[in-house]
Formats: sequence, structure tokens, C-alpha cells
Amino acid sequence: MSMDIETTVKNIFFEVFPNLSESDFSWDKDQKDYEHWDSFAQLNLITLSEAKFDISFTFDESIDIKSASDLLKNIKSYLS
Amino acid sequence: MNIVDFLKNSANRYPNKIALVYENDSFTFSELLKLVENFSLPVELLNEENVISLISENSTYFVIAYLGIMNLGKTVHLISPEISETNLINQITSSNSSMIICSDLVFKKISKFNSIKIPVFQLNNIPDNINNFSSKYNEIAYLIYTSGTTSEPKGVGINHSIVEFATKNIVQVLNYSNSDVDILPLPLHHSFGLGCLHVSLFVGSTLILLKNSSDLQNILDTMKKYNATTLAAVPATLSKFLKFNENNLKDYFSNIRLVITNTTKIPINTIENFKKIISNGNLATYYGLTEASRSSFMIFDENKSFDQSVGKPSPQVNIKIDTQMSKSKIGEILIKGNNVIKKYWKNIESDKNIINGWLRTGDLGYFDVHGYLYLVGRFDDVINIGGEKVMPDEIEEIVKQIDGVENVVAFGIDHEIFGQVIKLHVIKSKNSNLDKLSIITFCMKNLEKYKIPSKIDFVTNIPQTDYGKVKRFMLK
Repeated sequence: MSMDIETTVKNIFFEVFPNLSESDFSWDKDQKDYEHWDSFAQLNLITLSEAKFDISFTFDESIDIKSASDLLKNIKSYLS
Repeated sequence: MNIVDFLKNSANRYPNKIALVYENDSFTFSELLKLVENFSLPVELLNEENVISLISENSTYFVIAYLGIMNLGKTVHLISPEISETNLINQITSSNSSMIICSDLVFKKISKFNSIKIPVFQLNNIPDNINNFSSKYNEIAYLIYTSGTTSEPKGVGINHSIVEFATKNIVQVLNYSNSDVDILPLPLHHSFGLGCLHVSLFVGSTLILLKNSSDLQNILDTMKKYNATTLAAVPATLSKFLKFNENNLKDYFSNIRLVITNTTKIPINTIENFKKIISNGNLATYYGLTEASRSSFMIFDENKSFDQSVGKPSPQVNIKIDTQMSKSKIGEILIKGNNVIKKYWKNIESDKNIINGWLRTGDLGYFDVHGYLYLVGRFDDVINIGGEKVMPDEIEEIVKQIDGVENVVAFGIDHEIFGQVIKLHVIKSKNSNLDKLSIITFCMKNLEKYKIPSKIDFVTNIPQTDYGKVKRFMLK
């Protein structure tokens, strides 16, 4: 299950950042190191995650997500 | 000239010509004029406003009462038969109407409304105790409360002089004449249908009035039966016609010189197909509001370049685009001319939208280099996402391409960071197992990242006006 969540979260990043390659992806890579991670991309990461996992982030959670691992951690907190 | 003069002039010129056909009844111009002149009302019930509410489906009685009330010098307050009790009471209060005249069907409905405090009469059962008590005409011919796609309805009083101006423009641009036979399946309580009635009375053509446009085969049969030359229909009706056999349609439309439709967005496919179907005529549309009737006209021809346009301004009507609030050629459409109201009905706040004769329409549009006007959407509908302006139509067009989407409406909802984000209300097709993720994924592939809907609700109903326009303000 955990592996499935991680794969899904990675795929969310590949959908929101179409130019992101497998080799460029890192769980701890920070928002500022992504070329196109602006506020709209942040919004789409949240929107896509909520739709894929049928969850709803709070406002504070959604603005605190700064990396793939942050997103994964928040999603897991809803699914645990 | 007032509206009743249209009839009087035609009765003078063509007394024995058929003016109006409805179901099994037909009336010559002189017969119709006599009925209108004999129309009477209980004068003691009239108050100083001289406003009388008329609520009816299309019928001969409607036409006679509409003209008859004006012939008595009164203002006709036109109301949709579908109106709710709350809206009816609001309109009656706002208009200060002195009585309601209605069809039998409407009478059955509203006689249960306990909150109505003014007399209600059935069209065919009005007390007959006064005649010719007034020779002075109210300046305002009729009063319509706008359908309200972005706000609650506003009263719009239309002067006789506005009707005369707009009617002459329609006749001039679309070449109506006394040799026309006009098919009208549109509701007469709405500006589009009413404008068609005025034209027929003005030029002395024969008007074939239909109850509504739900029976497409009946429209076609009626066109054939009366050798009709014009048809007025909303775009949705035209699109439905396309499901008929094309060759049969061409035959039915072979005598038609004009199909006139209205502003609601016409699908390109419908325009292109109708150009082929009307081999001996034209498809035309117009842009107008109740407040500014028939402000532009578009007659479609072989040239496809301007098919998305609503045409060029009507004669002696000025249209300009206010781009102060935008950084592009798109801006709010402003209209000035003798077709524009001077003020709203007892509504000081709405009057602020009319400045030095220019009406701020609330519609967004632009002109191309050839002077053709294009509509983009409603000013109030623009979704502002962190400074990025998004028209809901664009999102809706994309989402409608998804299998399983029957209908969709996009609108802005408040957001703490962006100001607004996009929300969708989606009606799924029957038996569809469409989910939110599929919609978002499709949007991500087909829209810029700031246009991706953030919230989606599946719903069973989208609030619309009587004329099919979405009431977005009810969703926000």
C-alpha cells in the first residue's frame, strides 16, 4: 500500500511538471529547486492529490508542502 | 409613433390581409385592430402607475391584451408564466401593478398564491365596464424584469420610441416586408419574440404564432403549410433541427429567406450546417439586451471568417469597448443610441450603469479590424485567479469534451491566496461512472495550469434562467 502511495505521488509530480524526468525527481528536492513550482503548480499538486486520494487538505497543510516528501507525509496522515 | 399605430397603419393599408394566425384562428389586420380597440379594463382598479401585469403563454388573447392595454394608454408588465410566487410578488411590488391579467393555465397556478393582493383576471373573462377612457399614451410601452444571469432581476421599462427605433432597424437590416410570412415559436413575454411581433405589425406581414418551439416537426409543417419566408428561433432549436435528415430540411427551408436567431452562443457547426440548409436565404443573429434592443446584426454568408461575430452595430447605434480594466483589446461593451433606455425602473443603483447615454452592458467583447463585434462573456463572470483572468466558457468548452459530461458550469470561489479559484458543477450523463480525477487530468492536458479547476461537485441541476442562461451568481 505504502509503495502504491509513493508511486501515485511521484506520478502526480510528473503530471504537474511534464518536463520533470525520473532522474530529476527526488523526494527531498525543495520547491525552490523546481523550475516551474510556482503558486499555480502548488495549487495543482494539491488539487490532483485531493482527487486521487479523495482527501481534502486544510489551508495550512496546503501551503506548508515544499517537497514531494512533504506531500507524501500529509497524504499518509489522511490515509493512516 | 406608438406600437398600436403599427397595427393601425397596417390595418389602414391592408385591412383584409391576414395579420395573425394562431392554431385554428386567423385574423385580418382590421379584425385584429377591432379586437384591440374593444379591449376594455375596469378603470376603477387602475392606480396612478397605470401598470397592468400580463402573464400568459403565446395565444391570440396575449396579442390582443398586449396591444389593448397599450391602446388604453397603459404600460404592460410582461411576466413569464413560469415565474415563482416569490419573484411574482417582488415584481408586482416593484412595478406597482394594479392588476394581473393571465391565461387560464396561469390563473390556476397563481390563484393559489395567497400573497397576491391585487385583482387577477383571466384573459377571456375580464369585466367589461369601461371604454376609451384615455387617449394619452404612457411613454413606457412595456416593462420587463431582466432574467438576471449575474444578479437579481431589474425592471426595464421600454418606451414606445425605443420600440419604433429598434423595429425600423430590424426591418431595414433584415429586409422585412409585407410579403413576408413570419413563423414565431418564441415566447411573446421575452424581448426576442416581442420584437418579431412588432416587426410583423409594422411592415404588415403575416405572423404565424406558435405556442412554443418544443414540437420541431410542427414548426416545419407550419412553415410548409403557410409558405413561410422567415423563422425566428433560439440557437438550441436550430441545433436540434440538425438531427433531421438534411435533404428533408432543405426542402422545408426552401422558401425561407431568413432565419433569425439571438445572441446566445451559436455552435459553429450549427451555423455552417444552416448556411447549407437555407439555400435561398440567410441565417442572421443579433446582439442586444432588454435595455438596448438589437444593438448589432450579423448576417452569415459564405465567408466563414466572421462566423463567431455578432456583427456590426445597428444603424445609428454606437458601440465601444472600455478596455480600462484590461490590458488587451477585450473590455466591457458600452452601447449608446435611441435603442437604449434612459433609466431603469425605480432603481437608482442600476441607473449608475448608464452614463451620458452610454449603457454599460456588463458583457465583455472586442472589435476586429473589420469592425465586427465579438462577445467573450460576462464581465461579472470573469474568474480572477491571482491576477490571471479566466473566462468560464473556455473551461466549460474543454470539460464538455469529456465522455460522461452532460453539462458543466465553471465559476469562481473565494480562495485565501489566489483571491479566486475555479470550481465546477458537473452533471454526469446517465450511467456514467466519470470521477473528479478524470476531469482534472483531462484539464491538465488541455488547459494552462492556472485554469485547472480546484474543486468539482457532481450535481443534478444547474440553475438557469427561463431562456437557458446559467445563473452563475447563484453558484458563487
